[in-house]
Amino acid sequence: MKRINRIRAGIAGAAALLGSAGAAAAQDVTLEYWVYSDFAQGEALALQQEFIKEFTDAHPGVKINITGKGDDDLTAGQVAGAASGNLPDVFMNAQSVGAQLVEVRALANIYDKWMAMPQEFRDQFDKDALASCMPRPGELYCIPYTGFGSLLFRNLTVLEQAGIDPSTPPATWDEWFAQMQKVKDAGLYAIPDETLVFNSIAEIYATSGSSETWGFNWDDRTTRIDPAIMTKVLQKFVDMAPLTSGTSRNDQATKDLFISNQLAFHTVGPWVNPTYDEAAKTSGLKYDFVLIPGDEPGKTGGIRSYEIVGVAPGPNMDIAFEFATYITEKQQMVRWAKLLSRYNANAAAMADPEVSQLPLIKVSVDAAHGAMEVAAPYFIDSVPSCYNSTVIDYAAATADGEFTPEEGAQELIAELNSCLAQ
Amino acid sequence: MPSARPAFFRRPRPGRNMPMTLRRYLPHYLMIAPFMVLFAAFFLYPILSGLYYSFHDWNGVKTPEFVGLDNYQTILASRDFSRAMTNLLWYIAITVPLGILVALGLALLVDSFTGRWANFFRNAYFLPVVLPAFLAATIWRWIYAPNFGLLNMILGWFGVPSINFMNDTDTMLYALIVVDVWVSAGFNMVILLAGLKNIPGELYEAARLDGASKWQQIIHITIPMLGPVLFFVFTYGFISAMQVFDKPWLLTGSSFTSYGGRRNALLFPVMDMMGRGFGGVKFGEAAAYGFLLTIAIIAVTALMFTMRAWRERK
Repeated sequence: MKRINRIRAGIAGAAALLGSAGAAAAQDVTLEYWVYSDFAQGEALALQQEFIKEFTDAHPGVKINITGKGDDDLTAGQVAGAASGNLPDVFMNAQSVGAQLVEVRALANIYDKWMAMPQEFRDQFDKDALASCMPRPGELYCIPYTGFGSLLFRNLTVLEQAGIDPSTPPATWDEWFAQMQKVKDAGLYAIPDETLVFNSIAEIYATSGSSETWGFNWDDRTTRIDPAIMTKVLQKFVDMAPLTSGTSRNDQATKDLFISNQLAFHTVGPWVNPTYDEAAKTSGLKYDFVLIPGDEPGKTGGIRSYEIVGVAPGPNMDIAFEFATYITEKQQMVRWAKLLSRYNANAAAMADPEVSQLPLIKVSVDAAHGAMEVAAPYFIDSVPSCYNSTVIDYAAATADGEFTPEEGAQELIAELNSCLAQ
Repeated sequence: MPSARPAFFRRPRPGRNMPMTLRRYLPHYLMIAPFMVLFAAFFLYPILSGLYYSFHDWNGVKTPEFVGLDNYQTILASRDFSRAMTNLLWYIAITVPLGILVALGLALLVDSFTGRWANFFRNAYFLPVVLPAFLAATIWRWIYAPNFGLLNMILGWFGVPSINFMNDTDTMLYALIVVDVWVSAGFNMVILLAGLKNIPGELYEAARLDGASKWQQIIHITIPMLGPVLFFVFTYGFISAMQVFDKPWLLTGSSFTSYGGRRNALLFPVMDMMGRGFGGVKFGEAAAYGFLLTIAIIAVTALMFTMRAWRERK
C-alpha cells in the first residue's frame, strides 16, 4: 500500500508538471503498447500487466493493450504503421533501428516533455545511455530501457577437463587465447565461430578497439573503423579459426554444445542465462559469466546496446509519454531487474542494494560500462544493409585465409565507405 | 400460375430508365460485387499504388517525390540485384526440375502401395509441407551444423572432413535446394498422385500385354497422361521459386539489417526487396523491385503457356 501511494505521488508530481497529460488522462483513451515477444510471456508479461494495472488505476479512463512482437515484426509494424497512420502509442525497439523510426516519423521528439520532468527523475538514468537517445541538442527520441553488455559465459567442466583452473578468469586476450588453445588440445571446442554474426565480430573488435574507432562518421558518411585495430582483430579471427565449433553465437547448436560440455566459451548477452541456469538445475551444467578480457589488464571487450521505449507522435502522445516514464521509473525498473536479473538503463535502479548484489546484474553493469557501442551514433541515419554484411564477409574471408589481415582490413574499410556513400 | 423462379431472378421488363442489358444482368453484377470490391481494395489498389510509388522517392511517410525511372535504374545497377538474380537463376534451374523429379518418384512409389501403407507414406512425405518454416529451418541448421551436425557425423564415418554447409559459399545454395525439395516434394507428390489415380488402368494393362517394361510404361503412358498436371506443378513450382524468401531468410539467420548469408550466397530478390523497404526505408525502390520481379514472373509464365499452347496445336 505504501509503495502504491509512493507511485501515485510520483505520478501526481509528473502530472502537475505535464498539465496536458493530466487533461489527456481524464478522457477515455486506449493506448497500444508493443513490446518484445519475450516481454509478453510468462513472468515478464505478468509484471508488465502489473505496471499497466497500477498506471490505469491511477488514470481512470485509460486502457492499455500490450502486444508482443519479434524483432523484425516490431520494426516492420512500426514502419508500416507510420505509413498508414496507425502507430502503436508506446513501444519498445532497439536503438540500432532508431534512425529508421525517426525517418518515418514513428518516434516523437520527447525532449521538451523530458526536460519538464523533475530533475530527480531525469537523474535516475545512465548518462551514456540517455545521451545515445539524443542525436542533436534539443532532440530526444527515446527513453533507454533494458540493455546489455556482452558477457563471457564459461563452461567450468570443459575448462577443468582442459586443465585450466577456472577460479581466475582470464585477465587479458593473450591469457584467454592460451586457454582456448588448451581447450582445443583437449579435443573440445573453445568458442563459436565469431566471424558469423556482426555482433560477435564487434565483441572481438572491442577487445582491441573502442566506441571511438567503431560505428559511423555520418558527416562524411565513412566508417570509424581503424585499419590498424581491424588488422589486429582480423589476426585474432585467423588465430581462432581452428578452435571454433563452426556455429554462430546465436545458433541453438552453440547453446546445446555449451550445455553438453563440449564448448568452453560463449560470448553473448545475458539473455542466454535463463537457459544455462535451467541446464544447471536439470543437468548439472557448471558455468559462470565474467567480463570479456581485452588486450590489456583492465580493458574489456564486448558490446553494449539498449532497448528503448519510444512514444509515437499523435493525439495520445502526452499520456503515452507519461506511461513511458512510469514503466522506466526506478521502482518499476528495480522490480523488473529483480524478476529477470537483467541490466537496464536506470542507473538508480541498478544501484539499489537489492539489485546490485544480483550476480548477473553486478557483472552486467561492469560489462556495459566497459563495452563498445555496437552501432553508434544512433538516430541519425539508417545504416545500409550492405554495412553489416560487408563486415561479416571480410572477417569470415580473412579467417578462411582469402586475405591477409592487413589486406582484409584495407579492403573492408574501402568497401564500408563505398557502402555508406551509396 | 406463380413463376418457378424467385422474383429477384425474373427477367426485367423493358421500358424503364435503366439500359436493358444492365437491368438484365444487374443481379449477376450484384452477386460478383462483393468479390470485386475486395479484389479492388486488396489487390488492384495495392498494385496500382505500388506502381505509382515505384516512380517516386518515398519512405512510407513523406510526400512522394517523382523520380521517373531512377528507382528502376538504381536497382538494375546495384550489385545486390545482380547477385540476387544470379542466385535465383541457379536456384530455379536446379530446384524446380529436381523438386518435380523427386515428387514424381515419391508419387509413383506411394501409388504402388495400397491400403494403410499408401496412407502412411503419403502422410509421411506430406509432413514437411505442414511443418512451420522456422521449425524446418531449425531442424536443418542442426543437420547441417559443422563438426557435430547429423550430416557431418555421417560423412565423418566415411572419412569426409567437416563441411560448413551453411557458411561455405560453395555449398550454401545446394544446402538450401535440399531443404526446399524436402519441403515442396510432399505437396507436389499429392497433386501428381491425384493425376496418377486418373490414368485409366486399361492403358497399363494393354501396355503390359504388349510386353512394355515398367520403365516404358512410365515414359510412354504415365508422363504423357500426366502432362497437364506436370505443367501445373512446374508452373506453380516456378512461380514459388521466383518468390523464395522464408527458407533462405531463416537458414541464414537474416534480419532487416543483415541478410543473405555469407557473401550474399543466399540473397534472393524478395529478401533484397524486403531489406530495401523495411531495413533501408526506401519503399519507392522496394516497389520498383517488386514490379521488376512481377514482370519477370508474368513474362516467363506467359512464355510457358504459349509454348504449351503451341505444342498442343502441333
